[in-house]
Amino acid sequence: MAMSREFQFQCVLANGIHARPASALEEVTRNFTAETWLVNERTGYTANAKSVLGIVSADIRHGDSCRLVVQGRDADEAWAALSRFLQHQFPHCDTALVESVAARSDAGDLPRLLRKAGGRIHPGKPVVGGIGRGRLRRGQGLCLTEAISRQHADGADAEIHRLDAALSALEAAYESQLRHQESLLGRSLLKAHRAMARDPEFRAYLHAAIRKDSCSIAGAVQAAEAHFSEQLVRTGAALLQERVLDLRDVCFQLLQQVYGSAAVSERLHLTEATILVAESLTPHQLLSLNRKHLRGLVLGMAGETSHTVILARSFGLPTLTDVVGLDRELDAGVEAILDGECGLLVTDITGGVRRYYELEERRLTGRRQWLRRFQRPEIRSSDGVTIRVGANISTAREAEAVTSLGADEVGLFRTEMLFLDRAAPPAEEEQFNEYRQALRTLEGRSVTIRTMDIGGDKPLSYLHLPVEDNPFLGYRAVRLYPEFETLFRTQIRALIRASAFGRLKLLIPMVSLVEEVQWAKQIIREEQGRLRSAGLAFDPTMAVGAMIEVPAAAFLLEALGRELDFLSIGSNDLLQYFTGSDRTDQRLHRHFDPLQPAFLRLLHKVVTEGRAAGKPVSLCGELGGRPEHLPLLVGLGLDRISVALPQVAAIKAAAAQCSVAEARSLAARTMACATVAEVRQLLAASGPRTASLFGPDLVLVDSDSTSKEEVIKEVTDRLYVTGRTAQPRLVEAALWQREAVYATGFGHGFAIPHCQTDFVQLDSLVLVKLREPVEWKGVAGDFVGVVLLLVMRETETAREHLKVFSQLARCLMDEAFREQLRRENDPETLCSILKRNLRE
Amino acid sequence: MNIVAVTACPTGIAHTYMAAEQLEKTARRLGHQIKVETQGAMGIENELHASEIDAADVAILAADIAIENSERFAKVRKIEVSVQEALKNPEGVLQRAAVA
Repeated sequence: MAMSREFQFQCVLANGIHARPASALEEVTRNFTAETWLVNERTGYTANAKSVLGIVSADIRHGDSCRLVVQGRDADEAWAALSRFLQHQFPHCDTALVESVAARSDAGDLPRLLRKAGGRIHPGKPVVGGIGRGRLRRGQGLCLTEAISRQHADGADAEIHRLDAALSALEAAYESQLRHQESLLGRSLLKAHRAMARDPEFRAYLHAAIRKDSCSIAGAVQAAEAHFSEQLVRTGAALLQERVLDLRDVCFQLLQQVYGSAAVSERLHLTEATILVAESLTPHQLLSLNRKHLRGLVLGMAGETSHTVILARSFGLPTLTDVVGLDRELDAGVEAILDGECGLLVTDITGGVRRYYELEERRLTGRRQWLRRFQRPEIRSSDGVTIRVGANISTAREAEAVTSLGADEVGLFRTEMLFLDRAAPPAEEEQFNEYRQALRTLEGRSVTIRTMDIGGDKPLSYLHLPVEDNPFLGYRAVRLYPEFETLFRTQIRALIRASAFGRLKLLIPMVSLVEEVQWAKQIIREEQGRLRSAGLAFDPTMAVGAMIEVPAAAFLLEALGRELDFLSIGSNDLLQYFTGSDRTDQRLHRHFDPLQPAFLRLLHKVVTEGRAAGKPVSLCGELGGRPEHLPLLVGLGLDRISVALPQVAAIKAAAAQCSVAEARSLAARTMACATVAEVRQLLAASGPRTASLFGPDLVLVDSDSTSKEEVIKEVTDRLYVTGRTAQPRLVEAALWQREAVYATGFGHGFAIPHCQTDFVQLDSLVLVKLREPVEWKGVAGDFVGVVLLLVMRETETAREHLKVFSQLARCLMDEAFREQLRRENDPETLCSILKRNLRE
Repeated sequence: MNIVAVTACPTGIAHTYMAAEQLEKTARRLGHQIKVETQGAMGIENELHASEIDAADVAILAADIAIENSERFAKVRKIEVSVQEALKNPEGVLQRAAVA
């Protein structure tokens, strides 16, 4: 007997029921067989409460009276669950979003100079640093090649069957992305998209179009998109109109699912400097864009480790996620500056904004130039030990940058990119060309190519793998090669053939059993034999190695060493498996911390036992890309590290400054620690603190700064350029905090801004001489032409440096000393004047 | 005049020493005897002993923060000024000390 129950409520959500609250409601209603209807009493519109598209079309706004009607066998349970939801959770289902946006728009985080500049600031989350400037443009739209018929040929049943399979696959894909999405905004967007993919109204509309109008899936999706978009737009509410984009994106993904990305993906022709704004962007779409004109990316959702982001990072393409409310600007196609440093998109570019970014460009270029001295092969530590720094790449196209950045080799070429986002796997010839191109570009430097690390969190539609509950702990990489042996053999053949063109090293991912290595080697031998009999050239001495990323492998080093030529530590996965903590779960950041003593001991074990087995050990994970951790890795015995392309120079600089003897003693002490805090303390207290307080590098004459704010930025930027701080904005903030007590101008045209902060790695003294004096606001009319910046670390304060600073302070009270500094304009001479007076 | 003084600024990196230098230089130029204790990031330097404080005509406490061991100056004639003042107008500070 059908039961019917009702629940009355008023919409308390400030933005009404848009897609996100609607998908929250749908997540409850879909659990019951009872039919659920949502009635907007203001308009009289009745919507299917199991359909997100239906719910949002009801256009329920703040304050509207609503009725939820439940009818069916389990109506009682449904009513109980829904009334609970509507009373307790529903009123808050938009709060997290609103708060996360509000927290980020806190103007206090903005650099002072930019805050004063008056542009329109849209906060976002920076995922790739750098500054880009160009016109805003939407990077998505439904463009089907004309080759795809809008009418079905194989009969409605077959077409509907195909459609249903694609919808389930799409839902599963969102499901899997959800597991790896950490940002709140990203999650809620994904949930909204997932809800659309399983929306019963949407599906019913598609079915009807296929059945009644003989549409193909392509035709049906186009019709459905037009129909529901119109419904959404008609509501007139701005937030709902934005959801048209969500709908378009879901349709786009659905068509990709059916026809493959090549048939659907839109070719954007960029003809001028452009900042692309896209809800989602596949690696292939990114590669298809003209990078000459592409200056920045704003992505709706993309984890830090998504392939698109990894590519963007490698190309040095400034990228943000989680920017909201850009529609007006996008429609107008206005010019914008994308700031991947602070995580902002700036429109309404004023003179002040332009000047700020001119200085930012100067800072970033200055840093690149300063690092250039380390962009040479074979960097030696301060005590003469060679440390090899390689680059990680994902496409042969990145290989050129590898040599220009001075990397010693390619330590990791991830081949997954070749296999993702397509309807069928790449043929042997395509792979061969890709690998050969990388080897040729590298001209004799070794290129370590990792066989496909697919499956698990990187599912491929053409493998038809079932969705796993726990993809990281599942069926991936070497584990699925035997099932897809043809696929593996194809890749191996392409690799063996490419080995004739350079120094190729083959790397097998996810090894945890010796048998896996034996099996892979057998395949390699067989394919080498076949190619030999076919008379094809290859390198018979090609090295074969394994990733050490599953802890089990760390306990098989002797046996693995007998089978293999080298070992490479994948620090991300090794840490994740070793500590049992999902790296994408921010609640586990304490556990997923590479500095824990247990993990350091594991690394040490791998390096020493690998060595004992006579095999070189390298590291190619994210851990290698942090300059501040390099001494630790070197101390643990690593002398071969491979990092993301943009990090190469900074790691080389750190390697040059590192002393292997000191690093070893540091590593030994950290391994004896019990807690991460103790390790961090040791790390903070170590490092090249012996470097000079000042030098010609830290003297700027003829500065064109025109305000105190610019000067403060200029001096801290200098610390950044010379590698003395990684966080110039935080040093700047500390200086301003000190200036707030009272300004540090002391007359005579001099000022000495100063602070103590651990955001500098080295105690430093910067001297800036201004072309035109600026007002310092110390005393009325206090104009300053010479600025001396004094920065000390807070912990483990060096007394001898404090002594130098106090001497300098006293010297500055002497007019003869001041006059020398005013008169002299040569950095070297200025340094010797300081040195003479300060006896450092 | 026989003067003792203490300088102390918030970070103790620069102004403490600049003010000390100004007071010492100016006092000597004007023919006074002076000893200045600095309380900065390096701790207390050139510390004043009780006998030196007792023998002094006046104490100048030039500080923007509470100074350490201030009870030492309980019985002596003293003036309290900001570090900024000692730095920018040492003559004025010494004049005030003379008539305190």
